[in-house]
Amino acid sequence: MTTLLDLADIQGGILRAYGRQGFPKARAFFLTLRGDGAAGRAFVEALRPRVTTAARWRDPHRGEALLRTRAPRLKDVARAEDEDDYPGEVTLVKPTVTLNLAFTFYGLLALGVPIRTLRGMPDEFIDGMAQRAEILGDDPFLDTRDVVWRDSAGENRVHILVMLNAQMNPDGTPVAELEMETTRLRDLCAASGGHVVLLSGTGPDGADFQEMSAVLRPGEHGLAPTNKEHFGLSDGFGDPVFEGQFPPALEALRVIGGGKLMSDQTWAPLATGEFLLGYPDEAQEIPGAAMPIEFSRNGTFMAYRKLHENVASFATYLRDQAQTYAALHGIPQAEAEAILRAKLVGRWEDGIPLQAAPTHADWLAFQEELAQAKAAKDKPRLAALALRYTDFTYRDDLAGTTCPVAAHMRRANPRDMLDPHVTDPDPTRGDGSALVNRRRILRRGLPYGGPSQGGSGTDSGEQGIIFLAICASLFRQFEFVQQQWMQYGLDFDAGSDTCPVIGNHPKGDPHHEPKLVIAVEPGGGRRPYICSAIPQLVEPRGGDYFFMPSMTALRLIGTGITDPT
Amino acid sequence: MPNLDGGHYFFTAIVPIKNDVVVAHEGLRSSPVHMVREALETLPTALQSPEAVKVGIQSPFARSLRTHFARLVVLDQPFFNGRDHSDAVADALRGTDLLAPQANDVLACPYLLVMIDFDPEGSDPARHYCEELWTLMPRELKAVFRYCYGFPAVRDAKTFADFLLPCQVETTMPFNDYWVGAPALPTLSRWWLIAPPALGVALPLLAALLHRVSWPAGLILALVLGLAGLAVDYGIVMRRGARPLPAAPDATLRHVLKALCLQQAFTRFAVAQQGAAPQARGAAFREFLAAHRPADLDGPTQAPGVISASVISASAVGASVVGS
Repeated sequence: MTTLLDLADIQGGILRAYGRQGFPKARAFFLTLRGDGAAGRAFVEALRPRVTTAARWRDPHRGEALLRTRAPRLKDVARAEDEDDYPGEVTLVKPTVTLNLAFTFYGLLALGVPIRTLRGMPDEFIDGMAQRAEILGDDPFLDTRDVVWRDSAGENRVHILVMLNAQMNPDGTPVAELEMETTRLRDLCAASGGHVVLLSGTGPDGADFQEMSAVLRPGEHGLAPTNKEHFGLSDGFGDPVFEGQFPPALEALRVIGGGKLMSDQTWAPLATGEFLLGYPDEAQEIPGAAMPIEFSRNGTFMAYRKLHENVASFATYLRDQAQTYAALHGIPQAEAEAILRAKLVGRWEDGIPLQAAPTHADWLAFQEELAQAKAAKDKPRLAALALRYTDFTYRDDLAGTTCPVAAHMRRANPRDMLDPHVTDPDPTRGDGSALVNRRRILRRGLPYGGPSQGGSGTDSGEQGIIFLAICASLFRQFEFVQQQWMQYGLDFDAGSDTCPVIGNHPKGDPHHEPKLVIAVEPGGGRRPYICSAIPQLVEPRGGDYFFMPSMTALRLIGTGITDPT
Repeated sequence: MPNLDGGHYFFTAIVPIKNDVVVAHEGLRSSPVHMVREALETLPTALQSPEAVKVGIQSPFARSLRTHFARLVVLDQPFFNGRDHSDAVADALRGTDLLAPQANDVLACPYLLVMIDFDPEGSDPARHYCEELWTLMPRELKAVFRYCYGFPAVRDAKTFADFLLPCQVETTMPFNDYWVGAPALPTLSRWWLIAPPALGVALPLLAALLHRVSWPAGLILALVLGLAGLAVDYGIVMRRGARPLPAAPDATLRHVLKALCLQQAFTRFAVAQQGAAPQARGAAFREFLAAHRPADLDGPTQAPGVISASVISASAVGASVVGS
C-alpha cells in the first residue's frame, strides 16, 4: 500500500517543521472579516499564489556541513549515506519567507462556504478552543488570555490565521522579506475597505501579530537557532512519521521510533489518514469529512496555542527540589538538578532520552561517545547514536524506574506501554503501539519572547511556546492527549497527577497536590523521590482551532465555488 | 464493438496527469492536477440553462456539429471504503490479525476521464473526430490536457490524435439516447437454435437404434454432440449480441438540432392556428413548410449547445469564434 501524496496540493506547514528547516523566525497574524464575504474571498485569492506548499524545493545552501547542530539529525545521516532527502524533479527554490493560511469555522462561514460543506465539519472545530476550555483544562486561565482571544467574538471573532515563517540573518534578525510580507499583508487589509481587518492584541503590548523565534545561541557564523525552549529543554524529537511524508530511503530511517510499533516489534509509518483528510487512517477506513471530498482531501486541522512559560518558577522549583534530592543521595547540586529536569521530561536537557542513558553517568558517557564520533567523523557510529534519540520502547521499564511513567514525554506518546500484552515475556505476542496510534499529533510551532526578544526571563515576562498541533481529528488526537494524558494520570496509574510540565497544578487542595513520583529499582538500596507541590509552570494564553485547507480547497474558498450545484 | 453503437461513437479515454512535478501557471506554482481542475472549472458549459444563457459564453464543444455530449472528469483515487466485512468467529479461528492493514487500491497518478458521444465519420472515426476537435478548439484542449503525460509532443491535429487515442478504453455500456421505440432487431429463430443440440443428440441415438454404433457409444456421442450443439448456440447468440445496435433514424446531431427547431416552431404554429378556418390553416401550413424546410438540415435550424432556438444571438457569438 503506497500512498503518493500530491505535495503541491498540501500546505507546506503540515509536512514541514519550518523551525527546523531553516525558518527560525515567524509571525502569526489574526484577521476578522466583516461584510458579505466578497472582500474576504478576494483576500484569499490575492494570497493564494503566495501560499507555500509541501512541494520539494532546491535548497541553495545544500552544501551545508554535516552535523552542524549538537545532536546529529537523521537527515544528516541520510545525506552522509548519499541518499537524497528530497529526490525527484525540482523546479522550486527554497523561499526566504513561507506563507500559510488557516481558517476557523466562523471564518469559513464568513467567507461564504456553503452550509452543505460546513455541516460536515467536526463539532470541536465548530466549537473552537474557548468553548472547549473545560476539556482542555484551560478554564482557570481564560481571563489571562491575550486580548485578541478574549475579544474573539462578534465582529472581532478570529476568522483567518496567516502564518509567515522566515529565514534568519547571521545577527539573529529575520530576513528583510518578513517585514516586506508584513507590509504587503497590512496593505491588503487596508485596501479591503474595512472588510478584512488585522486584529491587534497579542502579547501585553497589543501588537497586531504574534512574533516567534527559535532560541538562539552563538554559532560558527553569528547566531544559530537551537531546538531549545525557554526552560532550557530540547524539543521536537518524537514527531510521528506517516506514509507519504518522506521519500522511501529517509522514511526507513525516520520511522524507527517515530512511526508505530508493530506486534513483531518492527516500526512502520502511521496511516496518512491520521494527519491528512481523505486518506485511510489507522482504523483502516476513510473517516467522514466535509463534502465535496475535494474540499477536505489534503487538508487537516490545527490547534494553535500560546503557552506561557513561568521560567523563574521552573528554575526556583528545580533548585529547591535538587537541594533535597542532592542531600538525600549525596550528589552535587548541579547533578541533582540535571537528573530532576530529565525525570520531569523524560529526556536530558540536550534531548538524549532516559531510555538511552538512564543515569547521569550514562548521559555523560553518551555525550562523550557523541563527541568522539563527531571528531572522528565516524558515520556508522553517528547513525547509530542518532537513532537512539527515538528508538526505544517502554516494555523493559514498565515500573518507570528509568523514565517515570508520568514524565511529559511518556504521557505524550506512551508507545507500547499501554499494550495489554506488554507483560508477556514474548514481545511478539503483543499489539505494539496499537492503542496509541490514533492519538498522535504533528507538533509544529516555535518559541516566542524570552531574553533574546526583550523578555525579562521572569514569570511575568513574555516568553513561551507557540504550540501548533496538527492532526486529522482534534477531538480524537489533540484533545484526547491534552485531557486524558496531560491533565489526568489514570492511564499511567498516576492517580490525579497531571503532567509535571504542562499540566495544571492547582494549589490548596491536599488531595490534588501536584506531584511526580520518581521510582527506583526495588532492592537497589535507593529510595524513591517524590517531587511535590509543583508550581504552575505553563499557562495557556489563548488560541483556537483552525482548518488548514489544501490548495484545491483554497481555490474553492477563494473563488466561492465550493458547491457548483 | 460497443464503441460504435446505435449509429454513434462512444469515446472513452483515461489520460494520466503528471504528478511528479510542480508547474507554474499565471503566478501560481502548484500541482498539475490543480491546474487541470482549474482549466475544467473555467471551461464554459453549453448555454443549456437560463443561468448559462445569462453568462452568454458558449462551450467550445458547440463549435462542432458532430458532438452530442462531452464530459471531462478528474479521477483522483479509488475511494477506500474501509476493511472488508468479515465473520468475527471465522477471523478468530483463522487467527486473522485485524491490526494488519488490508491492502487497498491506489492509482499511481490522477487521471482525466474523457467521455464524448459523437457522429462517426470516415474509416477511423475516433481519429477523424480527435483531429477535427483539435482544429475547432486547440486553445481549450491545450489548457485542459497540457499537464498530462505525453502532451508536450502535441503540435497539431494529427499529433493530438496520436496523444489521445492510446489512452482510449473500450466503452462497454453505451447509452443510446435517441431510440424512442424499440429498434426493429432481427430475432433469432427458435427452431434454428433448437436444431444444433437436438441434431447432436438425435443422430447418435438413431445410429444406435439402427445398430450402426453400440448403445453405450451412442449415448456418449449423444451427450458430447448435444453439448457441442449448445456451444454452437452460445456462439451464435454472442456473435449476434456483439453486433452494434442499428443507427436510430435521423439521429445525427444535425438531425436532432433540426428536429428541436421544428418542434418549437411547430408548437407556436399550432397555437396560432387554433380555431382558424381550414383554408387559412392550409395556407399557413404551406407557408410554414416554406419557411422551415423540414427536410433541409442546413436550413432554419437550432445552433448547437443552446437550450432553445431563441438563444440564437449567443450561439452566433460562438459561431463567429469558430470563423475567426
